[in-house]
Amino acid sequence: MQESINMEKGVDRGQGRSYRGVLARVGPGRDTWRWLGQQLFNRENPAMYFDPLLESINPLWAQRYIPARVETIEAETHDSKTLTLRPARRWGGFRAGQHLNLEVEKDGRWYSRPFSLSCSPSHWEQDGTITVTIKKVADGEITPWLLEHFQPGDVIGISRAYGEDHTPEPGHPMLFITGGSGITPVLSQLEAMADRHLRNPVTLLYFVRTDADVIGGCKLEALAERLPNLELRIVAAEQDPQNPDHLGPHHLQAVEGLTERDCFLCGPPGLMKHAQNLLADAGVPEEQVSSTLFAVGPGVVVTEDAGGTVHFSRSDITVESAGDRRLLEEAESAGLNPRYGCRMGICHQCSCRKTSGIVINQQTGQPSGYGEETIQLCINVPQGAVELDL
Amino acid sequence: MQKLSEEQLENLAQDLDAIRNEQMADLGQKDADYIRGIIRLHRTLEFGGRALMPLGFIPPFFLAGMTSLGIAKILENMEIGHNVMHGQYDWMNDPELNSQTYEWDTICTADSWKRTHNYEHHTYTNVIGKDRDYGYAVLRLEDETPWKPMHLLQMINFINLSVFFQWGVGVHELEFEKLRSGEVTLREKAEFLRDFARKGGRQVFKDYAFYPALTLPVAPVVIAGNFGANLIRNLWASSVIFCGHFTEDAESFTEEECENESRGHWYLRQLTGSSNFTGPNWVYTLSGHLSHQIEHHVFPDIPAYRYREISPQVQAVCEKYGLHYNADSFPRQYATVLKRVTAFSLPDRMRERLFPEFNEGDEQGKVADRTTSTSLVSRLRNRVSSTLSAAA
Repeated sequence: MQESINMEKGVDRGQGRSYRGVLARVGPGRDTWRWLGQQLFNRENPAMYFDPLLESINPLWAQRYIPARVETIEAETHDSKTLTLRPARRWGGFRAGQHLNLEVEKDGRWYSRPFSLSCSPSHWEQDGTITVTIKKVADGEITPWLLEHFQPGDVIGISRAYGEDHTPEPGHPMLFITGGSGITPVLSQLEAMADRHLRNPVTLLYFVRTDADVIGGCKLEALAERLPNLELRIVAAEQDPQNPDHLGPHHLQAVEGLTERDCFLCGPPGLMKHAQNLLADAGVPEEQVSSTLFAVGPGVVVTEDAGGTVHFSRSDITVESAGDRRLLEEAESAGLNPRYGCRMGICHQCSCRKTSGIVINQQTGQPSGYGEETIQLCINVPQGAVELDL
Repeated sequence: MQKLSEEQLENLAQDLDAIRNEQMADLGQKDADYIRGIIRLHRTLEFGGRALMPLGFIPPFFLAGMTSLGIAKILENMEIGHNVMHGQYDWMNDPELNSQTYEWDTICTADSWKRTHNYEHHTYTNVIGKDRDYGYAVLRLEDETPWKPMHLLQMINFINLSVFFQWGVGVHELEFEKLRSGEVTLREKAEFLRDFARKGGRQVFKDYAFYPALTLPVAPVVIAGNFGANLIRNLWASSVIFCGHFTEDAESFTEEECENESRGHWYLRQLTGSSNFTGPNWVYTLSGHLSHQIEHHVFPDIPAYRYREISPQVQAVCEKYGLHYNADSFPRQYATVLKRVTAFSLPDRMRERLFPEFNEGDEQGKVADRTTSTSLVSRLRNRVSSTLSAAA
């Protein structure tokens, strides 16, 4: 299985471009200006120094995030809405299937939450807008507020787009298996296919609880018109509580030429795991299956050999980790207050220098090297003694 | 020092924790709006000051530019930098207001400050030998430290420290006195010196090279104005800090008193080792709310502008345990600082005779000394406090 959220791309692009356009044209190189700004304003990103004033003149001039104007808000279902946003021009665009973070301030606190872009890149290229579909997470801290708080005309912060480029290629037959709000990146991919007039045979298996939970219904209908080879199967799994129809082998058997297809999975972790197993059983080669692991919370982690002594060297605190909590949580329960953002390995806000020891990335299961490197606190657990610059 | 029983200390800790928890639970938009408003004011004053400075050959513009930049530096250092680095706004999760990454507009690096101030000074407040902020290793302010003839001239140190305060704070971690005694070596301080040179160079470059060069024909005026702005900040910042711990009634402690201390004992030390000054709200803001040094020391990571509101609650706690809540106007507190610096510059015998109010002894003796004190300031203060207590 491929891990499709590739952070590096998004982060590298995210740094420094914001004021490049303005300053590079003035004379000395960007690095010179940046160096000078650092001397004068004592910060890594000197462009942000002016934010407090610029923001109060025009919120779209802020540099610490990319501002986007909310154009329209449309209800998809009883608990989801699609926001059409117009980002500031310096936003770098995106590829089909990518994600972005919404950056918002609620009660004085900054939150960064990942969402998939639900339109094709042509929207951005042609009229400078993008759409993001938000589904309310029951008991969530941010999504219910997001859905209530914003009105057309408001300004919301966004990050640059990140994640693997899933722009559809001509030729390959495809199978999408999605559940709930996992449909959103697929809408982007299908729309991109239609824009490119691709004729690949495509089957979309879309699992929702009931008919009232279908997100992007209109868009899917329109896409069915534009994509003659699209086979659309929306399964309302719990429409009839007596006869639930959850993902099973029969759904896959109905897909023509299954083993030839490129498969793309997006949805709740349970559904994706199940789909992976079913595809493997049906003989689909692993390299043809890719997925977006999107709705993963911190959860309890059980890894062999995990756990060890964690030394936070800057504050000189040592804790014993049993390996069942991420380093971020270990640090927080030790009374530290490390910077964090998404808490799910996406935004790199909590990145920190590990000076020695091995940590295991819980999303990939991969152990790190021994030496000094930057790690994300929110997705790593220690394997043996670890020293962190915190 | 004022003593409380173990049980009283435990209750004291509980009472103060309750105030703290109530405040922490209430953090929200109000605090974010407040600090952002201050930052906007700072940027406006800084850009305004720097823009006026080249016109400084016209005296009123010089004065306006210098004052504007001076106040900007004061706000940045005290209400923004100091408080942000204490982690008062970490909960906002704003990378611009994060205690780990904030760097302020002064010679001292943020990292050095956080080590010497947030850690050493706030943990070992007024503990002689451990809190190097108590006298900054250039002032003798208590009789634990043996008197030497050089102390006779410590008023000169005091003036120098006030005028060049940012440099004093900048080299504070060099621990010059320990270097001289051989306790630490220069090699151990290499990293500190490198960071100090980088940050110091940056600050000097900005105020004395870059901005003057930008306005070349009037560069001397700009240099003078920037020097003046830094001087204004140095004098004010040092005065505020001296009034926080060096006043007549602020207590100091010995290491033995503080070994294995409880949380309650730490609280007690913060309450009795700090002193407040009173004034209008704008003075509080300009002091970064270190006017409320007592509240700051018991709750260093609560957004400082809240100290004003909490003050009556903290006073009530002090009253409950019979502790002296040391608050007075700024001029009076500053006068007692000068008195302390003068008193301890003298040999002990002479001081005991001339400044009996600083004599150690049991509390009753101290009170008796106070009433017989001939100093005009303390007589005035006693009259005010007795009128106040009579009114109460």
